[in-house]
Amino acid sequence: MSDGNTGRGGDRIASVGTAFRILEAVRERDSAGVTELAEALEIPKSTVHHYLATLADDGYLVAEDGRYRLGLGLFTLGATARTGERIYHVAKPNVDRLAEATGEGARLVVVRDGRAITLYQAVGDEVDDPPTYAGTIEALHCTAAGKAYLADLSDERLDEYLAATTLEPRTPNTVTDPDELRAVLSEIRDRGVAFDDEERDEGVRCVASAVSDRSGELLGAISVSGPVDRMPDERFRSEVPSRLRNVVGVVEFNTTYSEWSDAL
Amino acid sequence: MDDDSPRMDIGLVGLGEHGETHAEFLEELGHTVHAVDLDPRAKERFRDRYDATMYEGLDELYAAGVDAAIISTPNKFHETAALKAFDAGLDVLIEKPLAHSFDSAERIVERAEATGNICMCGYFHRFRNRCRLAKAYVESGRLGEVTHIDARYMRRRGVPGLGTWYTSREIAGGGALIDVGSFVVDLVLDFYDWPELEEVIATTRSDFGDREDYAYLEMWGEDDEAKMYDVEDSVTAFCEFEGGRTAHLEVAWAANARRRHEYNIRGTEAGVSLDITTPLESVDPSGRNHRDFRLYEARSDVVDHYVDSELVPPANDPFRDELATFLAAVETGQSPDRCTAREALAVQRVVDRIYEAADRRDF
Repeated sequence: MSDGNTGRGGDRIASVGTAFRILEAVRERDSAGVTELAEALEIPKSTVHHYLATLADDGYLVAEDGRYRLGLGLFTLGATARTGERIYHVAKPNVDRLAEATGEGARLVVVRDGRAITLYQAVGDEVDDPPTYAGTIEALHCTAAGKAYLADLSDERLDEYLAATTLEPRTPNTVTDPDELRAVLSEIRDRGVAFDDEERDEGVRCVASAVSDRSGELLGAISVSGPVDRMPDERFRSEVPSRLRNVVGVVEFNTTYSEWSDAL
Repeated sequence: MDDDSPRMDIGLVGLGEHGETHAEFLEELGHTVHAVDLDPRAKERFRDRYDATMYEGLDELYAAGVDAAIISTPNKFHETAALKAFDAGLDVLIEKPLAHSFDSAERIVERAEATGNICMCGYFHRFRNRCRLAKAYVESGRLGEVTHIDARYMRRRGVPGLGTWYTSREIAGGGALIDVGSFVVDLVLDFYDWPELEEVIATTRSDFGDREDYAYLEMWGEDDEAKMYDVEDSVTAFCEFEGGRTAHLEVAWAANARRRHEYNIRGTEAGVSLDITTPLESVDPSGRNHRDFRLYEARSDVVDHYVDSELVPPANDPFRDELATFLAAVETGQSPDRCTAREALAVQRVVDRIYEAADRRDF
């Protein structure tokens, strides 16, 4: 897990950091005005305005009725960033097949800076309006993929995570006690599968399994989620986990041997 | 191999159990082993056990001046390793099955032929003295016309490293049939001298793979964390070949039945029962586990009577003889008389047809 610290200390250029804080704040709000952002980020309004105008000028924001939303300039960067991730190419066809086989939403999730990022998502026939999309960010402790990832961390890294993180409740089922979370993670390690039983969103169940390469490096997680009424216990605890293990195993082998499986 | 045969440089691609067995024999025979795998765990284990030069990738290995390549990667990756070897002008021995799919196997054979390199596939039972002798009896006409072969390769609890790549359809191409069943198909086709398959009825089952109470009494392959299991663990097939000749195949990684690997070859004049049952974890050169090897006839001297003759060839190590045959082929440039890529492709075709027939019945 990268902690986002470049280690450059005093070499950091503050304005670059500010620009990205502003972009993140706009994303959280879908769209935002100057005053709102200035207050939230505690930056003078005139400064915020200059940033917003510059970013809009360069295509990274769109100005609309005095408010700003993210521009497609960011999409081109994001989409390009994704193509640089090897796990994306190896896992994508398998995530597609998993969505088709289950009829539900299947995702490839990676973790950066302590956040679970949906790198790729495919939906099956049962899904009309998926709650997530490629690029969605979620907390680790309340999602199956996040917990699958946490379960694979060393004790030391897990301690760091728990010390730095407040386990915010999202639903009545969210695990918010660190010791309880440790117990859940230990169970996940034994089973190789993580469950989210309406812990992030009420009415939604999710199953995930971590993906590592053969040297043991943790690459991400693959998950399947669906509404409770389509995920009765047997399917949630047995059928989907079994499918997921098959897919994750294949992705891990394909990752290891990707140089030998590419078309010549 | 004769002692005065030249020492060669052999590239091993894929350093799992089969790769290790090849390395052992190659070192014994005085050849130099060059090795590559992309799995860091396999590489490390291999480095600890053998005196081999290790490489980072195929291109590097193939450019290192090796005389031939032996490929024993997971099935899905045979093709890339083989095609690059052929393009580098190398002769290749590929572990059976030739590939994870018929199409992939066909591309391997086409490239081998286009580049004019030797390509052999490791159906090593064909080098077993018992099998060679049975084949000789068939060819000599002593059995009359062979009309039916009853073949079975059954393990009781022998799913290979349950959860490794052997149990993944995508990586292995199938389960018990493409793994041990391909040996059975290879021998049956050889006894019949490579006929066309006309009809097949088949059923595949997966009765053991997902069971949490599966008893690991026998195991082939590394004991990896159980992840993948989406293949069949047993198959029953009835095949009809050209000329109305038939075969009944029973293949199982796990079944509630006696462990056996045997062929009953029925001719119009005589029959042969051939038992080559081995302990799971070895090729068993001693042959002491083999039970029956008999010729069944009937004669009418004085009174009508049966003649049951025991056939007693010396035991041999077929895996080793296969390797020696490959190395001799590399040395002379002459393709071996057995286990050619074309034969292996025919095996793959029949395996494919059996899977197709079983899939049809699922609907």
